[in-house]
Amino acid sequence: MPTATISPLGFPEAVLPESARQLRLDVRDFLDEERARGTVLGRPDSWLAGWDPAFTRRLAERGWVGMALPTEYGGAGRGFLERYVVIEELLAAGAPVSAHWVSDRQAGPSILQHGTEEQRRFFLPRIAAGKCFFSIGMSEKSSGSDLASVRTCAERTADGWRLTGTKMWTGGAHANDYAIVLARTEEAEDKHAGLSQFIVDLRAPGVRIEPIHLMSGEHRFNAFHLEGVHVPEAMLLGQQGDGWKQVTGELAFERSGPERYLSTFPLLVSLLRELDQRAMTAEQLTQVGILTARLHSIRQLSLGVAAALDAGASLDTQAALVKDLGTRLEGALVDSVRSILPTPADPHATPGSHAELLAFALLHSPGYTLRGGTNEILRGIITRGLEQH
Amino acid sequence: MNTHTIDTSTPAIPADDYDTTAFFADPGAIATVTNTTDSQTVPLPTPDASTAELLAAVHEAGRRTVPAPFAETALVARPLLRRAGLSVPEGPLTYAIAPQLTVRHAHPAASAVGSAGSAGEDDTLLVAGTLRRVPWARTATAVVVLANAPFGPVLFTLTPDQAVLAPGANLAEEARDDLHLASVEIPAAQVRRIPRELLEEAELRAALARAALIAGAGQRCVELTVAHTTARTQFGRPLSRFQAVKQEEAKLIEEAALVRAAVQAAAAPLDAGTAAARFAIAGAKTQASASAAEIARIAHQLHGAIGITKLHPLHLATTRLWSWRDEDGDETTWAAGLARTLTADTLWAALTSTP
Repeated sequence: MPTATISPLGFPEAVLPESARQLRLDVRDFLDEERARGTVLGRPDSWLAGWDPAFTRRLAERGWVGMALPTEYGGAGRGFLERYVVIEELLAAGAPVSAHWVSDRQAGPSILQHGTEEQRRFFLPRIAAGKCFFSIGMSEKSSGSDLASVRTCAERTADGWRLTGTKMWTGGAHANDYAIVLARTEEAEDKHAGLSQFIVDLRAPGVRIEPIHLMSGEHRFNAFHLEGVHVPEAMLLGQQGDGWKQVTGELAFERSGPERYLSTFPLLVSLLRELDQRAMTAEQLTQVGILTARLHSIRQLSLGVAAALDAGASLDTQAALVKDLGTRLEGALVDSVRSILPTPADPHATPGSHAELLAFALLHSPGYTLRGGTNEILRGIITRGLEQH
Repeated sequence: MNTHTIDTSTPAIPADDYDTTAFFADPGAIATVTNTTDSQTVPLPTPDASTAELLAAVHEAGRRTVPAPFAETALVARPLLRRAGLSVPEGPLTYAIAPQLTVRHAHPAASAVGSAGSAGEDDTLLVAGTLRRVPWARTATAVVVLANAPFGPVLFTLTPDQAVLAPGANLAEEARDDLHLASVEIPAAQVRRIPRELLEEAELRAALARAALIAGAGQRCVELTVAHTTARTQFGRPLSRFQAVKQEEAKLIEEAALVRAAVQAAAAPLDAGTAAARFAIAGAKTQASASAAEIARIAHQLHGAIGITKLHPLHLATTRLWSWRDEDGDETTWAAGLARTLTADTLWAALTSTP
C-alpha cells in the first residue's frame, strides 16, 4: 500500500475540492435559517447531546446525511472531504446532529462496505433520508478499550442467530431503530478471531434498554441487554468471524474527524462573544491566539487524514494521533476559557448563556478523551506506528 | 545558475546506546562521538522552486540543524530581493527588518524627486543605527535590510564589510551578530522603494522560515528519541516498552506532527498573497513557538542524563528550539496579533480560510 511510506509525522496535505467552497456557503445559509427557527443553539458537544430528528430530516432533504454514500443507495455520492466540510460547519455551529450521527459516520459506511446488497438497499436509503437511526453495540461492562474481550455471544439457530449478553455505553439505544452489535460467534484461542457483527432490531423481543445517566443528569447512554434476541440470518453484517477486522477498519473514520477537536468550539465562540463587548487584555489576547493556533493546526492534521481516506488509504496511526491531540484540546479549551474570563459554571443559568455553556462543557469534559478508545491506549498505537516506520 | 550550496556538517543520529563508563574510561571515545559527522552539502532550492518546496527544504535544514543561513537565504532574502526587483547575489544571504534604523537621503537636494521603484541617483541613502542580532551576518554575502525611509518603506542590500560587526550568538551558538552602521552610504542601485505590503510579507516570511526550522528540529527530536528509547534498555527491556515512556513519546510525536502540519498549511496562503497568509503564518509561528518547550522537555526527559550533555547531539536540536521560538516573533506576540483580528463572528471563518 502506498501509504505505508507516510510517516506519522508527515500527513498528506489536504486540498479541499473546488466544490467545497460553495458547499460551505450553502451549509452556512442553511444554518442561518435554522438559527432563525431556534434549532441551532451553539451548544458544545452537539454530536452527542443535540438530539433533533426533525433537524436531521431537514438536513437530509439537502442531501447532507449519508452524503458520501453512492447515489444508487440514496446518498449524495460526494466525497469524504465534502462531507468533512458539512460536518465541521454543523459542529462549529453547535447544531443538533446526534440523532443521525452514528448512522451517518459509522453504520452507513459500514453497511456499504461490508453489507449484503439486500442490506444496502434496505438500510442506506433510509439512513440518507434521516429516517433510520443506528446505535453501535461494541463496549461491554468489562471490555472498555479492549474490544477483543467482548463476551456477548451469538449462537446458531435454525434460521439465524440467538444473541445473549449486555452492551454498555450504547448511545441513543432508547430512541434508535437498530444497533450494530459485535458478538462472539466462536470461542477461539486468538481473542481477535471468532467475532462477528450483527444488525439488531432494537424493538425485537428480548431487547431490554436500561438508562445510564451521565453525571449531568442527561440520558444519552444505555446498558443494552440482549436476552436471547433472535437475529435473522440476513442480518449478519459482513463475514462471520471478520468482526474484529471490520470494526478496526472503521476506526480511522471515527477517530480523526472534526468531532475530535470541535466538541467544545462553541464555548470558545461564546467566550469571544463575551470578550467582544470589552477590550481584551494582553493576556486574554495571547491565550485566545494560542487556542486558535492549536485549533488551526489540529484541523490541518485532521483534514490530512480525511484526504488520505478520500484517496482510499487508511491511516490508523495518524487517526489515533489526531484523536489524542484533538480531544485533549477539547478539554484544555474548557479550562482555558474558564481562566481567560473567570466565570462560575452554572448549569441553571439561562440556557445558552456563557455560564450555562461552561457548565455543560465542563460536565461533559471527562468524556472527550474516553470515547473512541481511551487516549492512553491510543498512544501505544502512535509510538508503535513510528517505531515500525 | 544561482544554485549555491551551503556546506553543512551535522552529527549523525546515534543508532546505538551510550555507555557512559566507556566515555569516562576512554577519553578518545568522547572525541569519536562528538566528532561524528555526517558531512554533506545541502543544495539551496533553485529560485523558481515553489513555496512548498522551499518549506520542505528549510524543514530539512532544521532537521539537520544546518549551521548556516539556509532558511534566511531560501525563504526570506532571495524572494524579497526578487519581489523588490533587485538581482540575487550568489552565496548565503541574511536579512534584517529594521524599522528603528535612521534612513536619510544621501543627496538631500534630490530627496523630493524619484518614484516608487526608482533606481536613480536620487535614492542613494545614508543609514545609521544598529541592526540587532542579524542571523549569520558574519558569513553572509549580503544582508537584505527593510527599513522606513522618510518617503516610505525601502529595501536595500548591505555587505557585512559596510558595517562594524559585533559578534553574538543564540543559545545554540548560531551566529547572531549586531551590525553597527555609522552613516553608511547605500548606492541607489542597491535600494528599492517597496510597498508597505512587502514589509509585512518580510515579517511573515521570516516567521514562517523560523517555524519551518522549528518543525525540522522537532522531527529531529522525535528521531533521536525513538532511536534512544528503542536501543536503550533498563530493567532488562527497551525503554520504549515501558507504558510511561510510550505515553510521553506519543505526545512528543504528536506535538512535532502538529507543528509540521501548521507549517505545511501556510505554503498555499503565502503564494496567494499577504492577506491570506497572515492567519496561516501567525498560526504556524504561534504553534511552532508554543510547541518548542514541550518537544524539548519530552525529548530530554526520555533521553535521560546523556541528553543534557555535549556527548549527545540532542542539544543541537533543543537549544535551537529554545532560540528559534523567540526569534522572528515569539508565541505571545504572534498569538496576540492573531487574536486581535478575531471576533465571535469571524473566528470560524478565519479557521476555515485554509485550505
